[in-house]
Amino acid sequence: MALTGIQIYKLLPQTNCKDCGFPTCLAFAMKLAAKQVELSSCPHVNDAAKAQLAEASEPPVRLISVKSNGYDVQAGNEVVLFRHEKTFYHKPGVFLRVQDDESPEAIKAEITQAAGFQVNYVGRDLVLDGFAVEAVTGDVNKFTAAIAAVRDATHRPIILMSHDPAHISAGLRLLDGEHPLICGADANNWAAMGDLAKLHGAALVVIADTLDGLTDLAEKLKDKGVNDLVLAPTTHHLGTALTLNTQIRRLALKKNFRPLGYPMMTLASNAPDPVYEAMLAAQAIAKYAGFIVLGHFQPEVVYPLLVLRENIYTDPQKPIQVKPGLYEINNPKADDPVLVTTNFSITYFSVANEVEGSGLPAWLLVTDAEGMSVLTAWAAGKFDAERIAKAVKEFGVADKVSRKRIVIPGHVAVLSGELEEELHGWEIRVGPREAVDIPAFMKQVLA
Amino acid sequence: MTVEIPKETWAGSVRTVTFGATASEGGTRARSLTVGGQKTLPFLHFEHETPHPPLVAIEIKDRRPDDWSPLLLEAWGEAANDPASWAKAAEAAGADVLVLALSLNDANGQPTTPEAAVAATQAVLKASGMPLIVFGPGQAEVDNVLLVAVAEATKGERLVLGICEDKNYRTIVATAMANGHLITARSPMDVNLAKQLNILIKDMGLPLDRILMDPTTGALGYGIEYGYSVMERLRLAALQGDAMTQMPMVVTPGFEAWKTKEAKVGQDVPAAWGEWRERGIAWETLTAVTLIESGADIVVLRHPESVARLHQAIQSLMALPELA
Amino acid sequence: MAEHIVRFDVAQASARVLTGTMLTEAAHQVGVEIQQPCGGQGRCGRCAVLVNQGTVRRRSTLRLSLEDVAAGYALACQTVVEGDVSIIVPPQEKIERRLTTDLTAAEVTVPPGYDPNVAQQVRRVCLTLPAPTMDDQRDDWSRFQTALRQQTQLQNVSASLSQLQKMGGILREGDWQVTAIVEDCPDCPARLIDLKPGHTRENMPLWGTAIDIGTTTVTLWLVDLMTGQVRAQVAEYNGQIARGEDVISRIVYAGKNNGGSVLRQLVLDTINSLLEAACKRVLTNPSEVMKATIAGNSTMIHLLLGIPADSIRLSPFVTAANHIPPLAAHEVGLDIHSEAIVDCLPGVASYVGADITAGVLSSGLDDAEALTLFMDIGTNGELVLGNNEWLVACACSAGPAFEGSGVLHGMRATEGAIEEVWINSTSFEPTYRVIGGVKPRGLCGSGLISLLAEMFLTGVVDKGGHINTHLSNSRVRQGEHGTEYVVAWASESKTGHDIVITNVDIDNLLRAKAAIYAGVSILAESVGIPLETVEQVLIGGSFGKYINVEKAVEIGLLPDMSWGHFHFLGNTSVRGAYLALLDHQARVRLGEIAARMTYIELSADNSFYEAFMSALFLPHTDLSRFPTVQAAIVT
Repeated sequence: MALTGIQIYKLLPQTNCKDCGFPTCLAFAMKLAAKQVELSSCPHVNDAAKAQLAEASEPPVRLISVKSNGYDVQAGNEVVLFRHEKTFYHKPGVFLRVQDDESPEAIKAEITQAAGFQVNYVGRDLVLDGFAVEAVTGDVNKFTAAIAAVRDATHRPIILMSHDPAHISAGLRLLDGEHPLICGADANNWAAMGDLAKLHGAALVVIADTLDGLTDLAEKLKDKGVNDLVLAPTTHHLGTALTLNTQIRRLALKKNFRPLGYPMMTLASNAPDPVYEAMLAAQAIAKYAGFIVLGHFQPEVVYPLLVLRENIYTDPQKPIQVKPGLYEINNPKADDPVLVTTNFSITYFSVANEVEGSGLPAWLLVTDAEGMSVLTAWAAGKFDAERIAKAVKEFGVADKVSRKRIVIPGHVAVLSGELEEELHGWEIRVGPREAVDIPAFMKQVLA
Repeated sequence: MTVEIPKETWAGSVRTVTFGATASEGGTRARSLTVGGQKTLPFLHFEHETPHPPLVAIEIKDRRPDDWSPLLLEAWGEAANDPASWAKAAEAAGADVLVLALSLNDANGQPTTPEAAVAATQAVLKASGMPLIVFGPGQAEVDNVLLVAVAEATKGERLVLGICEDKNYRTIVATAMANGHLITARSPMDVNLAKQLNILIKDMGLPLDRILMDPTTGALGYGIEYGYSVMERLRLAALQGDAMTQMPMVVTPGFEAWKTKEAKVGQDVPAAWGEWRERGIAWETLTAVTLIESGADIVVLRHPESVARLHQAIQSLMALPELA
Repeated sequence: MAEHIVRFDVAQASARVLTGTMLTEAAHQVGVEIQQPCGGQGRCGRCAVLVNQGTVRRRSTLRLSLEDVAAGYALACQTVVEGDVSIIVPPQEKIERRLTTDLTAAEVTVPPGYDPNVAQQVRRVCLTLPAPTMDDQRDDWSRFQTALRQQTQLQNVSASLSQLQKMGGILREGDWQVTAIVEDCPDCPARLIDLKPGHTRENMPLWGTAIDIGTTTVTLWLVDLMTGQVRAQVAEYNGQIARGEDVISRIVYAGKNNGGSVLRQLVLDTINSLLEAACKRVLTNPSEVMKATIAGNSTMIHLLLGIPADSIRLSPFVTAANHIPPLAAHEVGLDIHSEAIVDCLPGVASYVGADITAGVLSSGLDDAEALTLFMDIGTNGELVLGNNEWLVACACSAGPAFEGSGVLHGMRATEGAIEEVWINSTSFEPTYRVIGGVKPRGLCGSGLISLLAEMFLTGVVDKGGHINTHLSNSRVRQGEHGTEYVVAWASESKTGHDIVITNVDIDNLLRAKAAIYAGVSILAESVGIPLETVEQVLIGGSFGKYINVEKAVEIGLLPDMSWGHFHFLGNTSVRGAYLALLDHQARVRLGEIAARMTYIELSADNSFYEAFMSALFLPHTDLSRFPTVQAAIVT
């Protein structure tokens, strides 16, 4: 079980020597409890305490890596059932599956297109993590040809999908030096698959349709010395997938049930149609999948899925922020006023609601103040003339308005002088301190 | 070996709320609807059966909207020209519930009058026997005026009135109490604010089985994670026995999704965004699917194709798992 | 750029300034003091002046009504000169006094068993040196050192150049009988502070001073180090107030145009005048004070020493130094003996300073078996939780509401302030008590807390703090700032205006109390301790002196515990400085407290915000945390 800061503190030397980089042993203990530092940062902890702390810090969901050519897709190390309790750490890898009944040329073309897919979301480039090659023809040569075609198109990690150890063996030889994911071991082939996984240092997906089946296989493979496993319930039914994924994660986290302490894979590619596949993948993102395999490449669906993944895996401990930008309220025109505020969500909402409620049109310029409210951000130097001027330029405010007039919150009236210097030719007005007074200000002062 | 299924036993449950009054109940609805009653997190039937599935509502307007995505207007066609025909089309598209969202201004740019709001509501009630939720335009003072008129003119229908906020809850709760309606309490994406508003409303004396709550959500890419976690936390608190969080939740993924650029706009966007129509529908659908899994009891949608997809998802999620 | 002439009605000379010069700067040029309680940030509106003639440009008119602007008023800190102007400066508001002097203060108990020979680092030693002869041609300095060593075992004493310059004269003047004042130091050479001719009598006092520099008030105790007795207690508003009421405003002020040296001089002036007053009372001179210990928050210490304080304000919020080495008084600028050691006590972090470590020392929290919460509530609330095993601390920004600022009719706790209110639960009519028994001028912190509690319990506000507009009472009405409740009609008030509390005021109060309570709950959460297991709450600072615990619990400011759990300690900061002044062991302990106190940064993640939002309700969103309040409000 996880220890609290005070419990860990009692195991530490309590000398407050600062060698770990923290001001006190208790501060270090709290960081350890939050899993934000490694115990090894403390040079003075004794062996008995080390052993006790190591046990408490063993991850309940094992970290699994799928690697190739500098790419490393990781899943696992999760510690909570609900993202608000801490955060979800490792975004599920999203893989696109191709089958070996297509020609290598067709595969290469499809993968080239999919590997080239890239969308920008809040400054981040979102792409697919890798590809899966599934054996459906039963012909090993076709399987390896398909793998080679994928490798021709991309260097990203590969999942080898076949129930036949001979296929997997051929694939692994072809991808020598990489750490692909083997998918996977079932009740019939587990022993041979386990040997291959060990031989090639690859992680192995365990496939079964029940908890008992997954547990049974995972235990057998563990006994065989295969440590890096991924659990794949075979279902492609939304309700069943939700149930199994929830039960597996609960057993791992709350019961510390080791046989199921591995990341999960959702085979959305098994869904009957692309629409259902998208919903299954969306569910898998929020509900505990470590790897997701898609069967269809549709940019208009992959885009929202990858965005959803970014959202769900956002650290909820960070202040709630809105996207910086120029927001339109009540359809403003070029001569309507520009109001400035910060990107702390509550600040934004209270300002936006008041303006919206007033019925008066306005542009609302939201600056990046790292999610702080106006006064806090100002006090911390995150909402100053320089930053406001930067936002005015970055979001092209001058192109949208004809009247260069900007209203700053009353709490930062002090910035008006500096802002005049930063923004030549702009009229700087000081608005009210409280959002509730904005409508009156707009009616009386700006009108 | 047999793995012991880890089941949670919760002290509390979501409150059961029924709205829409039939003739025998003093209204004119063809049927009433019930939401809530869950004793588990969404769709975990292995812990407890789910008494009422989430409902899919379709949002219609009192007049043809001028700021909706062309995709939506195309999907509804002529039906969107007046609320009565829109209500019928929505019913045909598979809505479980109708949401009538009143506009701030009429087609001529004049403020919507209470009379017009009442007329639109009555037209919808006449055109469709479905239970109805009525949203004001979202400005506290205007909402007060319009919703009080609507509430009085539809006494006994057990409508759900929204949007009841921290700022104007007194007026809307008072008219709901006087006219036998329900309210939906909207708070801006915060567990504490949601709970506080419920307490304030309860303190006025409105029975708890007449309160729905709307904790507000964001669309995919626009803050869905906050809405998602707030709903998840509210539902957990409800199951833990906190009476002030046990109201069923109604959220508006349609409104949120269709105001995003990704859904609303088809031109001048990156090619990597893919095909517009499917993208728009996927944006709405995936937002809504994510929200029913975090506890939404009513999702308000806009595109008829999304409604069909949500029904498919809900049916799947409500079916007893193949294995359990 | 054009030059303009600015005339002030209260000054002889006129200022010559360039276009764009701020009125406050022009005023400063000709020695006109215009108060800027918000530090010139255009927030408080207290620097309003009347522009009689000429052209100015108002960057902001916040806090001025449209009528004010029409009449010609302008905020001096937000208005720039654009032509020749003539300005009328209204009479500046005086700060009323209600400060502790030894006439009103309780006598301070000397720590039992105080023995200066054991505890005191400053030692007064009477020496008799052998006079030099042709056979004994040792130099004066080694002659002195040897005598000192023989009598005190003090080795390698050091001295400043000025002491060496005077030494020969003093030795001869005293005919080789001298009295040395030496600061002993366990880890470094002892230091000669002063040398006097002749032998000072044993029963003569040896002076030291303990100082607490508060953001609002500076408190100084004059102590006889021979007996440990506090012989004079004086206090005065910090002279920096007019340049900013809170630490952030001060830091900002210090960061621009020489503001740092202005603030430094202002607080030095305050301290030095207090020294003078205290010394006068015991018929001595400040130069006879041989040691000073200083407690204060980190910003106050930085500003006193002229160390730039910007890093305190800016993320990631670090100080320049938490542990200041011993300094000589002449370097610091204190008017005590120029060679005397000034010991600025150690702090922990930007917002947990020496005032808190000193408070912990004097409260004995670091030695307590019982789990104890220590609170010091002012503009910032500083909180410490712990016992003899561990200590965690945090600071939360409550804003100035509890000091009567940031509230429409708020005022400090001085004469004319309403300090307690009762509201009739059926008529909603208030009765109140005023400090000094005079007509009311406004509401002070305790009055505001009491008023809010009463409004809540009688339903004048709902749990969200909104005034109930459906109430039929003429005291509830719409004012310029929204809904308000009239506490005192114009006819009853000193000001001739109605004294009201507005919804905006209530929001400010709620935020202040929520910040404090959230800090308390996060502190407990951070170490995984349930708040209910706290066995005692020690409240330091002047806030505690006037507060009604019951009311503070009712609004959810203090945790719901029985009264017996709360103890009010008064100014623990100056008392901690006093203990450190007297006793070397206490000073060591203070260093240990600072070293082992773990600072919890509340802005590091969302948990504070969550706790804050939860506390932003009356008394709290989770009513089960306040069982006695729950029992009192049957809804």
